[in-house]
Amino acid sequence: MAMTEERPEVLELESGETTPTTGVFARPTNASGWRSWFFTVDHKKIGIMYGAVAMFWFFWGGIEALLIRLQLFTPNGDVLTAEQYNQIFTMHGTTMVFLVIMPLAAAFANYMVPLQIGARDVAFPRMNALGLWLFVFGGIFLNLSWFLGGGPDGGWFAYAPNTGVTYSPGTGMDFYTFGLQIAGIASLVGSINLIVTIINMRAPGMSMLRMPVFTWMILVVQFLLLFALPVITVALVLLSFDRTFDANFFNVAMGADPLLWQHLFWIFGHPEVYILILPSFGIVSETLPVFSRKPLFGYSVIVISGAAIGFMGWGVWAHHMFVSGLGPVGVAAFSATTMFIAVPTGVKILNWIATMWGGNIRFTLPMMFSVSLVAMFTIGGLSGVMHAVAPADTQQTDTYFIVAHFHYVLFGGALMGLFAGMYYWWPKAFGYKLNDALGKWHFWFVLIGFNMTFGPMHILGLQGMARRHSRYGPEDGFDFWNAVVSIGAFVILIGMIIFAINIVRTWLGYKAGTVPQEGADPWDGRTLEWAIPSPAPEHNFDYVPVVTDLDDFWHKKYQTDGTGKLRKVANGNDIAQKGDQHPHLPSASYWPIVLAAGLPLIALGLIYNLWLSGIGLLLMLGSMFGWSLEPATDPDAGHDGHGDHQDPDITDSDGSDNNTAEEAPVG
Amino acid sequence: MTATNTKLTEVTTNSMTTNRPILYRAVRLGALVALITALTSCATGRIDPTDPVGENAKQIDAIMRLSGYLAAAVGIFVAIAVIVVIVKFRARPDDDPDDLPEQIHGNKKAELTWTLIPVVLLVFLTVITIPAVFDLSAKSDGRTIKVEGQQWWWQFSYDIDEDGTPDIVTANDLVIPIGEEINLEILSNDVIHSFWIPQLNGKKDAVPGRVHHWRISSPVPGIFYGECVEFCGLSHANMQMRTVALEQDDYDAWVEDQMKASSVPTAASAKRGYDLFGRHCISCHVVNGVYESAANGNANLTSGYAPNLTHLMTRTSFAGSVFELYNDDGSLNIAELREWVRNAPARKPSRPDNRQGMVSFAEILNEADLDDIVTYLSTLGGPPPLMPS
Repeated sequence: MAMTEERPEVLELESGETTPTTGVFARPTNASGWRSWFFTVDHKKIGIMYGAVAMFWFFWGGIEALLIRLQLFTPNGDVLTAEQYNQIFTMHGTTMVFLVIMPLAAAFANYMVPLQIGARDVAFPRMNALGLWLFVFGGIFLNLSWFLGGGPDGGWFAYAPNTGVTYSPGTGMDFYTFGLQIAGIASLVGSINLIVTIINMRAPGMSMLRMPVFTWMILVVQFLLLFALPVITVALVLLSFDRTFDANFFNVAMGADPLLWQHLFWIFGHPEVYILILPSFGIVSETLPVFSRKPLFGYSVIVISGAAIGFMGWGVWAHHMFVSGLGPVGVAAFSATTMFIAVPTGVKILNWIATMWGGNIRFTLPMMFSVSLVAMFTIGGLSGVMHAVAPADTQQTDTYFIVAHFHYVLFGGALMGLFAGMYYWWPKAFGYKLNDALGKWHFWFVLIGFNMTFGPMHILGLQGMARRHSRYGPEDGFDFWNAVVSIGAFVILIGMIIFAINIVRTWLGYKAGTVPQEGADPWDGRTLEWAIPSPAPEHNFDYVPVVTDLDDFWHKKYQTDGTGKLRKVANGNDIAQKGDQHPHLPSASYWPIVLAAGLPLIALGLIYNLWLSGIGLLLMLGSMFGWSLEPATDPDAGHDGHGDHQDPDITDSDGSDNNTAEEAPVG
Repeated sequence: MTATNTKLTEVTTNSMTTNRPILYRAVRLGALVALITALTSCATGRIDPTDPVGENAKQIDAIMRLSGYLAAAVGIFVAIAVIVVIVKFRARPDDDPDDLPEQIHGNKKAELTWTLIPVVLLVFLTVITIPAVFDLSAKSDGRTIKVEGQQWWWQFSYDIDEDGTPDIVTANDLVIPIGEEINLEILSNDVIHSFWIPQLNGKKDAVPGRVHHWRISSPVPGIFYGECVEFCGLSHANMQMRTVALEQDDYDAWVEDQMKASSVPTAASAKRGYDLFGRHCISCHVVNGVYESAANGNANLTSGYAPNLTHLMTRTSFAGSVFELYNDDGSLNIAELREWVRNAPARKPSRPDNRQGMVSFAEILNEADLDDIVTYLSTLGGPPPLMPS
């Protein structure tokens, strides 16, 4: 896109009036350099930034995990003080949930969903950028606490009243409540954006049941976010009112019931588990068919069970509270609902195995990570059923058995799936594959380290080792397995260092020309993102594809011959679009990042000095004003041709509106 | 750790190995056997949920094992399926790249089957779970003991004459008679805690503003260890407790002894300690009969409570059961007690400047003072009815 050309300061309207082209200030027009990233509204650049920032936090959260493991390496460890330990385990959980897995899923959703549905961008590109920067600033704000008096110390679950000012007098919990509110807005605007995009911007012919499973799962996740985030926002607002303005929402002396916090937190918190895991379920539902060279077994069942998990996920939250004093009726009811959410999950596992069954499986890196998800997540799912047995949970909850369980779900499940997605879509995003040998080292170190770290935690939990204890005694008998666990954590670290080396080395190799450029379709893919060049061009599609089948791109490559036998009739790289058109695209904007910068200032002001809040508020309101004056697409941005023309080979037989992607994004 | 338990973990590990080459799996199996040997030979801790003693804990253990076996069976099934897929359906170098495997889009019957089988298994588990939930939550009509959690220790109150006011207030060691379902009334005086004696029953949260009923019982005398298992702030790791189960006669004797009030000591050093105690300690601590000014709810602590020390020496531990009160040979653990009185925050993470935990006396009491206070403390009742083995 030719955004660098000279342009006049003002735009002349037909009426003869002149108006500044961007409302208030000149728009950013850089096609390269840091400005092209900071002010971009391109969903792909935003996706890459989500991923890069999330990976930074992943290493940060990993360091926190390693500090925890150093402290627990031996009985009565003295690496950390109790105070530091409490802050670090709080931030490890908070970081991994809110700053790593959620944004990594957002990275893939941003990058891949428009490509999978044949769209040129998301529905609201500037809102997309706003979401990214709110996430970035929210994460920075949260971690500012380390430098301003210590991190939050109330656990990622922040149970009241321990998180009130009386018991947590530092500023850590303030950074937690405000930081999560900022990051929450990020997810909220992102979810609205993606829902509108998926529902409205699908290529012609792509009915809901022709949508790739990844896009389906992302859609389910966005609805979960849309309804779950307001709940935790309410909880966080109540808590911050308690802490900042001496309100009494969780003050027992004033008649509050602290279980209110637990209910609010887990009504958000349990759907959150599915927010974390479903994107990875979507990813492996893409990779398993591609690398087994078979269609997904029971597409509709997998989609429906994903949606069913989305619904049922709202009815199980109180299983986090089996010992909180719910009373037997509540416990029995939530015990039963929790059991049955295992059904749609189990169906998915078996359908994935059936997808591979009878296939011709290529054990590429994405496939290795995908298969490990199937195996590892199963373990986490089954221990989950054990917790659903409420009486058993009264022995298991708040022990390392639970820690083992949810790490098998979130590491063995969510992260393994996200790694699969990285290796799978890396060529689409960057034009080259990550190094295979280094990737295999990464895989084995992570898989073995993961099992060394979290496998023995089952045993420790059954032995009675409690969570969130900054130490255990020599008389407890936990030494041996804790040592194994701590060593395992460092094995994971080695794997992750190899992964980082892989990323850097392959990138340098690609720039030097030693790593080959991949074509449009390096994996013999099935979905639309493989029908455009690698890396994806800025405008995604030269022409909007017309979809006639589930796995449409695959059906363009494989057709039955005269004898009824399926044959490859075309090479994906040959029939893919060329990426040589230059259609209208939404223009870059300063406002999203500036608006996002206002929120942490407001929050800092609420902690330290209200004048700072005033500055932040001005910044935010001013940005909203500038934003609303600014057209989504700079009318003066250069482009050659209107580019939405039809591919000559494809005619729109039913004459339906084929211009989905041309409708100007308005965000 | 018992044999059954080992099986549980064995299964978990089995399915972990699913996506590895055969040779690797063999090596891994060998390592596993070695690990399990190590596991079974290494000493079990004193908090051991897998070795239930009380009725309730036994009932939980049975249902937990059942769910564990079921989960393990399903896990093994999935693991085998994944292994078969990996071994049997991997692409070979000599495969014709144009030859596609059969393109199966699904099979309604198969999918229905593997939807229904989990449903049946889970209905079975639910049917077993629900009656157990109601069983275990039924309130006992045995004697009531009030259990109060606060940062970072447990207080136990006994209303022997049932007049509504507690007659015995003790800490750390919950003393119960054997063979009786005790009705615990669990409360909290500050944040949420959780009461857990794994060998006797599961855990129950202590939530401020609420009273939770929970049963415990032991058929045999003994000391059963527990810890707070709901994150309760800075010293959460240092909030432990014990349940001391006594034969009925021993229990009756213990009650009779605990009902006695304390009196002013006559020996010189103890008397000096008594006076020092009166100067420095009684704004928080109560000794029945002599120092009762620090009524519960005192303003020096966020929870309003510090341990009642009337019969301190009848307990086996102090400071949230983190320290043993007696050495292995049965002598008083004077060194630890002295250090605690000198500088409690140095011995156990706490935040006295925020009224959470005991203040330091390092700048206030000299060595002789400390000796006298410890001497006085050692006159407060004792010895315990049962010593840790």
